[in-house]
Amino acid sequence: MIDFHTHPVLIREFVEKYPNYRRMAREVFQIGNNFQPLETFLLQMDVAGINRAVLLPIDCARARGDAVSSNEQVAELCSQSARFIGFSSVDPLKEGAARELEQSVRHMGLKGLKLDPALQDFQPGDTRAFSLYEAAAALRIPVLIHTGMSWAPGTALELGQPLLLEPAIRRFPGLNFILAHFAWPWVWEATALALKYPNVYLDTSCLYYDSPKEFFQFVFSKQIPTTVIERSLRNKIVFGSNYPRVEIKNMVHALNTLGLTEGFLNKVFRENPERLLAAATA
Amino acid sequence: MIIKLVRLKIQSRKSEDAINITAQVEEAVKNSGVRNGLVNILTAHTSSGLLVTEGIPCLEEDILTHLARLVPEDESYHHRRYLDYDGRLGFNADAHLKSILGGIHCMFPIENGELVRGSRQTVYFMEYDGPLERTCMVQVMGEA
Repeated sequence: MIDFHTHPVLIREFVEKYPNYRRMAREVFQIGNNFQPLETFLLQMDVAGINRAVLLPIDCARARGDAVSSNEQVAELCSQSARFIGFSSVDPLKEGAARELEQSVRHMGLKGLKLDPALQDFQPGDTRAFSLYEAAAALRIPVLIHTGMSWAPGTALELGQPLLLEPAIRRFPGLNFILAHFAWPWVWEATALALKYPNVYLDTSCLYYDSPKEFFQFVFSKQIPTTVIERSLRNKIVFGSNYPRVEIKNMVHALNTLGLTEGFLNKVFRENPERLLAAATA
Repeated sequence: MIIKLVRLKIQSRKSEDAINITAQVEEAVKNSGVRNGLVNILTAHTSSGLLVTEGIPCLEEDILTHLARLVPEDESYHHRRYLDYDGRLGFNADAHLKSILGGIHCMFPIENGELVRGSRQTVYFMEYDGPLERTCMVQVMGEA
């Protein structure tokens, strides 16, 4: 089982090693939990039944002064456990962004591109970002992009609207985009994009009120009927927890209580993420 | 008068667990230099606990099972909302309530440099929302 959406922002071993690590976690990403040894991350995966986790950095140096987890930190964690799958993050508006992405993939072994328009302060449909999308397409890596509401302080809600990405989705049909957080509250727009475009996927890492179980039951049965999830999106959804904003075990449990078929859950936890990652490693 | 505070680091490995810490507490007492006094043991967290009972696996399981029955996971808790100071939602009210019901501290006398406890009494650190690295405070006070 794969968790496609985790943030290595509370790794105790990095607090002393990287001077800005604590500040970026506390003030920019805004998370207040205790820093934990790396072992806790792996144990959290164990109790949730997750074998491998995608680690997501965010290069928001231009907009926020530094990265919320850097590519180097992610690569370092991947070197310590084969259970981690590292993604790269590059500011699309940075000069040389495409080259930086290529180097992080070829030399650091990173397997995808993570973007967060709200934290990185760019319009996802801005043509200035297209050279980065083009590089990702050439590298055959998927792009996981924050859509929907962001908890990070000082971020614009409107930059999370999934339809802002449609120009890039149309311009790069060979590039797979994973819309994080099911783009909540714009779940119908995200669903429409995933239904219409073969290169659009959704991750389940949405939790904005109530408990994971209550939230999933509302979003995946009342907002979007379970029939649509089960029948029409079965090949377009990957499991993501958004750990450590929520423990992985709670999100796995919530998804398992929706009454979805085993076949569907197998696709979400295994087949769909494996297919997305396979192209990157080919 | 000696007063010494030891912070035990405990890595829980499960979602819920009863972890026997008796040996670590006894070691803290021995290392303190206190001959006659008290030792107070306190968890530093509000979703974990400390309790004393007979140290056998069946009771460990019974305690966790009974607490889960008293505090069902699926109740409609007010805690299930966004906590801006934490940057996340709170949905572990059951763990907090188990902590309150099971208790968060215990105390033993010290005599002739040894922790005094009943033959069946075992000190447990109770994990209600793991796995996490936890801190348990052991304060030893008394005469040298």
